[in-house]
Amino acid sequence: MKKLTLRNIMLCLALSFFASSAMADKTTLLDQTHAAKGLKCASCHGNAEQREAVTMTKCIKCHNTEKLAKKTKDVKPTNPHENRHFGTETDCAKCHNVHQKSENYCGSCHLRFDFVVP
Amino acid sequence: MSKNDSNKSNEIDQYTRNVLQNGLSRRSFLTRAAMGTGAVAFTGLTGSMATASTDDCVKTAKSSDGGATLEFMPKPKPISDRDIVSTQTFDVVVVGAGASGVPAALSAAENGAKVAVLQKQAIVVSQGNTGSGIDLANSDKAAVEAMVNRLMGDSAHRCHPELVREWAYNSGEAVSWVIDRAKKGGAQIVDQGTKVQHGIHGVTEHKLNFVTSYCGPKPYTTGDGMRALAKVAEKAGVKFFFNMPAQQLVQDDSGKVIGVIAQDRDGKYHKYMAKKGVILSSGDYQNNEAMCNFFIPDLKNFERKQMDRTGDGFSMAYWAGGVIEPIGHTKMLHDFDAGPASMCDMPFLAVNRKGERFVNETVAMSLMNNYLRDEENAGHYSQVFDANYMEQAANWPGKLYSPEQMKIYMPEDPSPKIGVYESQINTYSANTLEELAVKLECDPKTFVANVKRYNELCKTGKDDDFGKPSAKMLPVVKAPFYGIHRRMRISTLCSGMLVDKNHQALDADGNKIGGLFVIGNLGGGFYGGVDYPLTVFGLSLGRCYTFGYLAGKYVAKL
Ligand SMILES: Cc1cc2nc3c(=O)[nH]c(=O)nc-3n(C[C@H](O)[C@H](O)[C@H](O)COP(=O)(O)OP(=O)(O)OC[C@H]3O[C@@H](n4cnc5c(N)ncnc54)[C@H](O)[C@@H]3O)c2cc1C
Repeated sequence: MKKLTLRNIMLCLALSFFASSAMADKTTLLDQTHAAKGLKCASCHGNAEQREAVTMTKCIKCHNTEKLAKKTKDVKPTNPHENRHFGTETDCAKCHNVHQKSENYCGSCHLRFDFVVP
Repeated sequence: MSKNDSNKSNEIDQYTRNVLQNGLSRRSFLTRAAMGTGAVAFTGLTGSMATASTDDCVKTAKSSDGGATLEFMPKPKPISDRDIVSTQTFDVVVVGAGASGVPAALSAAENGAKVAVLQKQAIVVSQGNTGSGIDLANSDKAAVEAMVNRLMGDSAHRCHPELVREWAYNSGEAVSWVIDRAKKGGAQIVDQGTKVQHGIHGVTEHKLNFVTSYCGPKPYTTGDGMRALAKVAEKAGVKFFFNMPAQQLVQDDSGKVIGVIAQDRDGKYHKYMAKKGVILSSGDYQNNEAMCNFFIPDLKNFERKQMDRTGDGFSMAYWAGGVIEPIGHTKMLHDFDAGPASMCDMPFLAVNRKGERFVNETVAMSLMNNYLRDEENAGHYSQVFDANYMEQAANWPGKLYSPEQMKIYMPEDPSPKIGVYESQINTYSANTLEELAVKLECDPKTFVANVKRYNELCKTGKDDDFGKPSAKMLPVVKAPFYGIHRRMRISTLCSGMLVDKNHQALDADGNKIGGLFVIGNLGGGFYGGVDYPLTVFGLSLGRCYTFGYLAGKYVAKL
C-alpha cells in the first residue's frame, strides 16, 4: 500500500488549507463535507504516525457503490457510477478529490460528458 | 551451458536472434549464477553486448547499447510468505481478463485444467468490435501464404513469420469457437464473413475467405462479448478474482514460474500457485508514461483510449527473465467513431487542428497520427467536404453515408443515436465555412484561407502543395458544408515479450522460461511496423482470441 511521506502530508494539508480558504465561497471541498458529518482525519488516514493513503476500500465502508449507482441512474448523459470500464467499482479517487477540487475523469475521452463532480 | 541446451531450438530464427541481441532483458542473473558463470555477457549470440556486474543486473535493466537504465522497471519488492493471507492452487493461472485472457481461460478449462483468472479491474474489460480469422476450409493454401506475406510486409518485415502463420492457420477455428461459446453466454456476436474485409483486395488471386466476428452494433463491444464468454468460462469451472491485480511471479530455484502473487483492494497479498503454467494476458502499457516515452517516444502528446494498462505484465515477465522487443514498438491510433468508419479513408480535404491543410489526403486514417504528433495537434484533424459529395465522391473506395444517414454522427442533430458511441460522434454541418470552422474548433481565418487555396488547386487539377491525384481534388464550394472532426487517440500498443510459437516466454539466452506463457498485446513478434496495419480488419482481436485459444489448450495439456 502506498504510504504518504510526512512531506507529502504537509504539502497536502497546506494545499487543502489554501484551497479551502481560497475557494470556500465557491465550492465546498469534500474534506469540509466530511468534517461537517463529524469525521476526523484519523477516520480515513488512520492513527499511525505515518498516515496512510486512503484507498477505495476506506470509502466503501460508508459509501455503498451499488446504492450509489442506483441513486445516480438517471444522470445524463450517462450514469457515472455504473460504466463499461469498471461496472459500479470505479475508484472514487479518479474523480472525487477530498482536499482539492474534484475532477471530471470521464470528460477527457468522452465528448459532452460534462459532469459536475462534487 | 549444456544444462539448458535441451530447451533451446537448434536454430535461432532471424526475428528471435534480433530480439535477443537488441531487446531488453535482465541478463538472467539467477540462471547464470547457478551455472557458475556470473554475469558475463553471452558473446556467442551478441558479440557486442555490454557486460554488466551482477549487482546492476538485479537492480535495473540496460538498453541494447548498455546505456539507458530502465528506472520504470524497478525490481518488485519481495513479498514474504508471512504477508500472504491466502494461497490457492490451480493448474493454470491467467493474468488479465480481456480479449486474450478470457478465451485462454475457457480454452484451458475445456481441456481439463483447473483455472484461475486474476483481473485488475472490477469486471472483464476489453475494447473493439471486430476480430478475424482465416476460414481455412474455404481458402487455398497459396492464398493463405500470400496473406502471411502481405502481413509481414505490413509489419515492415520485422515480425516473426512463425507467429503470423500460427494466426493464419488456426484463427478460423479459434474465432468460430469464440463466436460459438460467446453466443452460449448470451453475447451479441455474429460472423460477418469475408464481405466486410475490404482491405484484402489485391492480396491474392486465389481463394481466401474469412471468419469475421463482430460484437455489436455499437455501443455493444467485445468487452460485452468477453463478459458473456466469461460467464461460460465460469460455468466450465474457471474461477475469476476481480480487483486482484497480479504483482509478481513466483519462481522456483531453477527459474521456473510456479505461481502469481496478487494484491486485493485492502492491500493484502494472495498467492495463486500454477501447476502447469501462468498465462500473462494483461494487455499493453499505454498508461505507463515512462514506458511509452522509452519504447515509443512518438506517443507523448496523444490521448489514451484505455485505462489501467500500466504494463504490469511487462515488469513481471521481465523480472522473471523475459526479453522485451527492442525500442520502436508498434502502435494503433484510430478514430472510427467521429463519423462513418467507411468514410475514414476517403481523401476529402483534411485540415489540422488549426485549420491548415497538412497532408496528401490519400494517406490512410490509421497513419494520420504521424503528421499530428505535436502538442498542439495532438492527433486532431478534420475531413471537410461540401454538398456535392454524394455525386462527386460516389466512386471512391469506401461507402458514403448520405446527409440523412450521417445525422447519427452529428451531436447537434436531435435524431436518436443508434449504432454509434454517442460520446464519440463528432460530425458537423454548417451553412458557411466560418461557422463550420468554429464547430470543428479550428481558427476560422486560417480555415477559410486554406479551403480557398485548396479550391484553387482543385480548379487547376494540379495539387502543387501535396501531390494528390486530380480525381481526388473535390472543391469545397457549395453549402451546406460538412466536417468530421477525428481524434487519433491510442487504441493499443502491440509489441511485447519475446515468445516462441507456443507463446512460451524465452529468456535472454533464447531458452524457454518454464511455466511462463504470454499472449495478447503483451506478446511480441506479431507486428513490427510503425503502425498497426488495417489490411485484415480485426486482426488484433483475431490474434488475441486465437492465441488465447491456442495457449489455453497447450498449457492445459502440459
Ligand atoms: C476503442 C478501441 C477499439 C478497438 N477496436 C478494435 C477492433 O475493432 N478490432 C481489433 O482487432 N482491435 C481493436 N482494438 C484493439 C483491441 O482492443 C486490443 O488489441 C485487444 O483488446 C488486446 O487484448 P489483450 O488481451 O492483449 O488486452 P486487453 O483486452 O486490454 O485485456 C487486458 C486485461 O488485463 C487486465 N490487467 C492489466 N494489468 C493487470 C494485472 N496486473 N493483473 C491482472 N489483470 C491485469 C486489464 O484490466 C484488462 O482487462 C480496439 C481498441 C480500442 C481501445
